[in-house]
Amino acid sequence: MAVETRPVPPTATPARRSGIPGRPHRPTSWVGWAKAPLYLLAITMIVPFYWMVITAFKPVSEITRNPPSFVPESPTTVGYRDPAWRPDADTPGHVAGLFQRFTEVDLGFWRFAINSVVIAAAVTVLALLAASLASYVITKHDVKGRKVIFLMILGSMMIPWQTTLIPNYLVVRNLGWIDSYLGYIVPAIPKAFVVFFLVQYLQSIPNDLIEAARIDGAGEWRIWWQVVMPLLRPALAAMSIFVMLNEWNNFLWPLIIVESDQMANLPVALARLNSAFTGAQHMGVIMAASLLASLPTVVFFLLFQKHFTRGIAMSGLKG
Amino acid sequence: MATATGGHRKGPRTGSGARRVRRNMTSYVMLLPFLTLFAGFLIWPLLNSLYLSLTKFNGVRPPEFVGLANFERLLQDERFMHALSNTLVYVLAAVVLTSGFALVLALAFRGQGWGDRLMRTIFFLPSVTSTIALFLMWRWIFAAEDYGLANTLAGWFGVDPVAWLATPGLTIPIMVLMATWSGMGYAMVIFVAGVNTIPEEYYEAARIDGATTWQQFKSITLPLLRPVTTYVVVTTMIAAFQVFEAVYIVFRQVSSVGGVLDSGLMIVPYLYDMGFTKFQLGYASAIAWALFLIIFVISMVQLRVGRATREL
Repeated sequence: MAVETRPVPPTATPARRSGIPGRPHRPTSWVGWAKAPLYLLAITMIVPFYWMVITAFKPVSEITRNPPSFVPESPTTVGYRDPAWRPDADTPGHVAGLFQRFTEVDLGFWRFAINSVVIAAAVTVLALLAASLASYVITKHDVKGRKVIFLMILGSMMIPWQTTLIPNYLVVRNLGWIDSYLGYIVPAIPKAFVVFFLVQYLQSIPNDLIEAARIDGAGEWRIWWQVVMPLLRPALAAMSIFVMLNEWNNFLWPLIIVESDQMANLPVALARLNSAFTGAQHMGVIMAASLLASLPTVVFFLLFQKHFTRGIAMSGLKG
Repeated sequence: MATATGGHRKGPRTGSGARRVRRNMTSYVMLLPFLTLFAGFLIWPLLNSLYLSLTKFNGVRPPEFVGLANFERLLQDERFMHALSNTLVYVLAAVVLTSGFALVLALAFRGQGWGDRLMRTIFFLPSVTSTIALFLMWRWIFAAEDYGLANTLAGWFGVDPVAWLATPGLTIPIMVLMATWSGMGYAMVIFVAGVNTIPEEYYEAARIDGATTWQQFKSITLPLLRPVTTYVVVTTMIAAFQVFEAVYIVFRQVSSVGGVLDSGLMIVPYLYDMGFTKFQLGYASAIAWALFLIIFVISMVQLRVGRATREL
């Protein structure tokens, strides 16, 4: 049990180093040993990623070889574009690179990345705008029915979204939104969890600023935009990460409403790549695509790590 | 409809009655974007799905009311029962392992030093990696060929190549492995936040009283962490019941959505199969409601609703 690892608060470090007089410090060397299996576990976290990355940079002959290489012997980018591959001729040992596939789609693979970015950005912005308006009214306005409305929003958090899958598919089909950005974006805007989270956050904020703005004659819309939104910034940052990640990984919904390749997002494109080309010789290309689809969120996470963990902690502890 | 009546706690008390009416109008307009979409894409579909579950409907011809026939069929449907029991086994194992590992990791790597932060980053990485990319990665790792990673590692121990993804008995263990591997980092972050809110003095006092590390864990950490643990378990469980991508990407066969011999058939893949490959939308809606009821019951455990409304 690696329990004896109370964090040493940064300020306390010098005191520890100089030794606390009176009581001898308990030796904690066994703790290091207790942690050893966890470091092994960390290695098992890394190995699959490593395998994905090196596969993306191996030539076909090296991918389908036994025993496999754990360090690419001839690293290459043929997974992305293979100059030796010919669409019309038989080129054994070579397959079409990622950017040589999906040629019937404008911009090829990049088109899916653009779709994913556009959809994730639009949903995040619109979902947060709508939710912040609603949560502002629910917490700071005195309108009839706000309690009932909030109860319904809370209650709806217990609905697994798959329950609404079929009716929503029918609605989107009737509206003619199959295979369109609208079909992706509009149904994704109402997020009960975001309202719930923002309401909780706003409840902890005193009304003084809002009252002061009202006395100064500011309209409700201006108060929302210029007073409430800035106050909400930490909560909005946390929620935007959630919503964005969710959209980036959205799969089942697009699987249903997307028919053409043109409108696929990255997850659907990856799945189609996988089902269209079976056989290990294509694994280099599939891993290359997987790597590209993962990089944006991973880089984003590494840059804004603090916001990620703080957001999760906020939602986890307050909920 | 909106004259100033009593009973307001937080309401603004400035302005005349006319101004208040205008503000109330603004309030409703502000609620409108969310509420319209909320009603249109959440509440109405929920009710509509209940209605559809009482019909026979193929998506083309108008739904035909059949009463509870779909639910009766559900109870006799061996494939659904199979999906249900698969899901229960998977959820139980995944939730226990994910939460357990997450707690241990949180206790081990909760500090602010670079080592602990690095470890947290490593374990959190799957949470920010494209889900489908991760499953494609696992599919490749468990390739049946002798040069697949899993088979290479097995080969070091003298095991002959295994067709991992085509062996029914291995399906659920592999799914649990994937779920734990990718889920424990996220739960760990929640646990770290929870553990770090426990005052250090409690442990100091316990140590002075001679409590062992295990006693400290059992009598301080676990009880004080209970709300966080409940949250982690409930959210992990709800997410696990909704598993779809793992089955669809890693195990799907040409003939069946649920993998070899339906060994990986779960509730949502079955719902997808019935709804969108067989177009039995009425029956699929009954499955959707079965899922809703399960998740509803789990959510009630958490009583989050009660606490949040009391504050309003």
